[in-house]
Amino acid sequence: MIGWIGEAWLDLKVWIFQTLLLPGLYSAGWMRWEEDAFEWLDFALFGAATVLVSWIVCGPLEAALPVERRAPGERSTVGTDVTYTLLNRLGLVPLFAFVALQPLEVAWEALLANAGVIPLTLETMLPALRDWPLLTFALYVVILDFAEYWRHRFQHRFGWWWALHSVHHAQRQMTFWTDDRNHLIDDLIAGFWFAGVAVLIGVPPGQFPLLLLVMRVMESLSHANVRLDFGRVGGRLVVSPHFHRVHHALDHDEGVDARVHGCNFAVLLPIWDMLFGTARYGGAYPPTGDLSGSESLATGSWWGTQVEGAKRFLRALAGRA
Amino acid sequence: MGWSFPRRSFLAGAAASAALPARLSAATAPQAISPRPGLVYVLNSRDATVSVLDAMTGVEKIRVPTLREPHHLVYTPDRSEIVLGDSAGNEFQFLDPATAAVTRRLRISNPYHLLFSPDRTMLTVASLRRDQIDIYDAATLELRHRLAAPDMPSHIAWSPDNRVTYVTLQGNNRIAAVEAATGRLLWTAPTGKTPAGIIHDARHGLLVANMGEDNVTVHAPEDGRTLAKVRTAAGAHNVFPSPDGLTLYVTNRVASTITALDAGTLAAVRTMRAPGAPDCLDFSADGGQLWFTQRVANRVGVIDIETGVVIANLPVGRSPHGILFHALPA
Repeated sequence: MIGWIGEAWLDLKVWIFQTLLLPGLYSAGWMRWEEDAFEWLDFALFGAATVLVSWIVCGPLEAALPVERRAPGERSTVGTDVTYTLLNRLGLVPLFAFVALQPLEVAWEALLANAGVIPLTLETMLPALRDWPLLTFALYVVILDFAEYWRHRFQHRFGWWWALHSVHHAQRQMTFWTDDRNHLIDDLIAGFWFAGVAVLIGVPPGQFPLLLLVMRVMESLSHANVRLDFGRVGGRLVVSPHFHRVHHALDHDEGVDARVHGCNFAVLLPIWDMLFGTARYGGAYPPTGDLSGSESLATGSWWGTQVEGAKRFLRALAGRA
Repeated sequence: MGWSFPRRSFLAGAAASAALPARLSAATAPQAISPRPGLVYVLNSRDATVSVLDAMTGVEKIRVPTLREPHHLVYTPDRSEIVLGDSAGNEFQFLDPATAAVTRRLRISNPYHLLFSPDRTMLTVASLRRDQIDIYDAATLELRHRLAAPDMPSHIAWSPDNRVTYVTLQGNNRIAAVEAATGRLLWTAPTGKTPAGIIHDARHGLLVANMGEDNVTVHAPEDGRTLAKVRTAAGAHNVFPSPDGLTLYVTNRVASTITALDAGTLAAVRTMRAPGAPDCLDFSADGGQLWFTQRVANRVGVIDIETGVVIANLPVGRSPHGILFHALPA
């Protein structure tokens, strides 16, 4: 079965690349991007698969066990999140990041080389890992998730960063589509964040696409509008929809400074919240959203939320937020 | 809130490689592909592995892991080892060519293409990702010179007198000539669009395959001026001299063909179908076959030179790039 899917997948990719992309790049005089384009095609097809699997997994759950149902006459704002998801997972947002950052990446790599720095990998630090690729992959997941926990905390800690991150939190009708709802500038910062981590531990291996797919679905599921908890043990191993919904709560007990203190920042592994005292278990399934945000940020289009997020970001930088 | 896996860089925060695990089966391979025994080393750049094929049966005997992204490979000067450059893994990996056993590893910054000088004393490394050309001492692998070389230094050639190393600059459609002893840039000169493979040919000069066009340009080694243009097919990617020196084979990425040029006249004498966006190639031990990587199709093709027909299509890992045919004793 997997072999058949793999063959069909490859055939589709080869057909798209050789029939559409490669001749297009050649005609446009863009052959220097040929290898990147092939990688991008991979990314887009993989992204489409994650969207499809997320929809298959999360859609029925949201229908069967919803936390909240839309009131009669209430306008759905989920369409904006669908746009975010498609732009992100089909590769357009990463393409934007690539174009914006590629010259910087080249300069950065040259700078490191000139300074005599050769980025390590976990396998070069711990040679025994070379014989355990799955374990290596798992270690990368843990370390990158740890880094992501702290990036997330900083998003809530600094006013200018929160201004960007509030685009994500503004959504009151949280669903599995909400996962990719992030401001473009925030995506660029995430790129720099990963660059910093990559200097320390190298880039992770890329030969476990099925595991990556599972992880992406879990991230989508954590935002789903579904009354689902993973129990006393499971909920401490992996972030559940309930756990993450509490993070998105409209109003925290801490009051006006809630976004700074917050709770449940973990993306995949709740252990970071437990270790650093930010975990909160139990309780109800609260309504979600951002009290500090404007209505346009909560209900606007993709473009509208991007513009509003940028304005908030600039105001915060100017100290007027 | 969500995060993606950065595969080879931080760009895009992205990267999930998408295909399913590579197929290890070679059940469809015909028997006795190569008349003489050998091992064929294929670098699967997106799987971080090396497929080692039995040349006679086409069966994949072993898959050797690398770190992240191997692209090109060559013999060490004494031919006792194969060295492969793992660009994203920042590593040279050395293999025993007879057994495929890993003999040693060396940390090195982003090696994409690599080539030893004819006298075997120097090694040039092109780093596509950091826009730099490095010249190493071949014996100690200590860095002698590093040169900023925008944009996208790609493939390497050497002058027969070991004085100059030439590198194609894929991003700005030029070639660069670097004095090996000093690391000084001697000149750059325009080529066709997106130059990739380059060789130094004693009869004609520098031959550059222009991937953004359908030709190979001929350049004067002393100053890079263009002397001639030889039409092949769309996406001319690399040039490979046959072991007998009579023919030059050009892989054409977009057209999915391989063009045979008469090495004496540079006239195109034949075009062979080569599916899967052909990239690198090597010759079988008897010189009668072309073994080429199908970069997008995860396969290695074998062409019988006499008939010009693809006689085998062998599954390997994802995005196979560099290939080396190592002959074994009969």
